[in-house]
Amino acid sequence: MQHCAPEQLGLAALREPLPADDAAHFESCEVCRAEVASLQRAVDVLAVPELATPGAPVLPPPRVWAAVAAATGVPAERSQPSNVVPLRRRRPLLLVAAALVAGAVVGAGAVAVVQHRNDDGGRTVEAVALDPLADKDASGRASVVEEDDGTLALQVELKAPALADSYYEIWLIDRSVTGMYPLGVVRPGTQTVEVPPDLDLTQFPLVDVSVEPLDGNPAHSGNSVARGELKS
Amino acid sequence: MTTLGAIRRPVTTWTARRTSVGSVVPVPAEPDDQEVGRLFAAGQESALSLAYERWAGQVHGMAVRAFGPGPDAEDVTQQVFVAAWTGRAGYRPAAGPLPAWLVGITRHKIADTWARRDRQRRETEAAVSQARAQPGGPVTAGVDAAVTDRVLLLDELDQLGQPQRGIIELAFFEDLTHAQIAARTGLPLGTVKSHIRRTLERLRTRLEVDGAALRA
Repeated sequence: MQHCAPEQLGLAALREPLPADDAAHFESCEVCRAEVASLQRAVDVLAVPELATPGAPVLPPPRVWAAVAAATGVPAERSQPSNVVPLRRRRPLLLVAAALVAGAVVGAGAVAVVQHRNDDGGRTVEAVALDPLADKDASGRASVVEEDDGTLALQVELKAPALADSYYEIWLIDRSVTGMYPLGVVRPGTQTVEVPPDLDLTQFPLVDVSVEPLDGNPAHSGNSVARGELKS
Repeated sequence: MTTLGAIRRPVTTWTARRTSVGSVVPVPAEPDDQEVGRLFAAGQESALSLAYERWAGQVHGMAVRAFGPGPDAEDVTQQVFVAAWTGRAGYRPAAGPLPAWLVGITRHKIADTWARRDRQRRETEAAVSQARAQPGGPVTAGVDAAVTDRVLLLDELDQLGQPQRGIIELAFFEDLTHAQIAARTGLPLGTVKSHIRRTLERLRTRLEVDGAALRA
């Protein structure tokens, strides 16, 4: 039988299966096997997972952009390296504002609204709507709740589909979307997560819900599905 | 060639900025990816910022996949954007989208980092074996042929024209079969097969001429 066609041997070097009759010849032909082995060296060197087409994006820390800007002389201030979904117009649902707009409410009345007591004993300081991002199917509401001992918590009501092999996480993010705190895992429904003591909410006013894959990577996935902005 | 740019836009772009009072407002429409590529090639500084915003995540994702999170990966990401900017004259928008070009540079920087580590390893091992002063023992440790050949072959890929380069990249880096490549590119099966064959021959020749395995 004649040797395999050169093109077939090229494909074999890429580890594509040979047609049956070629395969039978190939098994017994030193020449064809040597040819594939010599072509395969380049495949083995280059077709490695580390060089494959990019998979999940990973957000580099801000210092990387700072270093790029410094090395190139390009002004650093504009770019906020970010794979986090941009803000869209949000509809803040401020109880304070609502109370004031209502008109006649002053003094104790406003305070009563602002310091609305929660079912579980805390006082709602502020609430904000979580609006869906881009074409995402998630929304809800986040309320900053002050517990009796003065600590803050975030009550999250999430309306979103259940997930398989991934989960929702809630974050507080700064306006430049470079610094962020993960507050914990959330699921569709209502739950409360603690805000780290002494965290300045005015510096991290964006309440962000992301979908996190089960990949062992604690960084933000970049896949934000809903977001709101705290105003106070 | 449409496939070469098949890099997904990062999940997002940052399209808001701070005003003097600190509130966030939308800015006017940002240039699309193609326009960013054109501005980049033209040396407009804002294009580097935009390219970084849009594709640093992809680049850093590759770097982290190769080296894990940390200084090595950050170094690679930094080097990619600095090299892309200083070498922007080498980017031709007509030849493909900017993110595909950035990914190509990322492959080089990853391979370079491996090669540098391998060199450092050999130097360390050489120093150790010299310190031990074993008579007759090897003074230099062996070169990792794959590491140096990778640098060589990535360089050879850069020399390829289209559609050869796109075809072999789909085979190597997206693990597509020749039939899938034909479907993706719209090229006839026979064309894809013969380009694969010729490119593999070309890479083999480069290894035969300059490869580490034969020099070592």
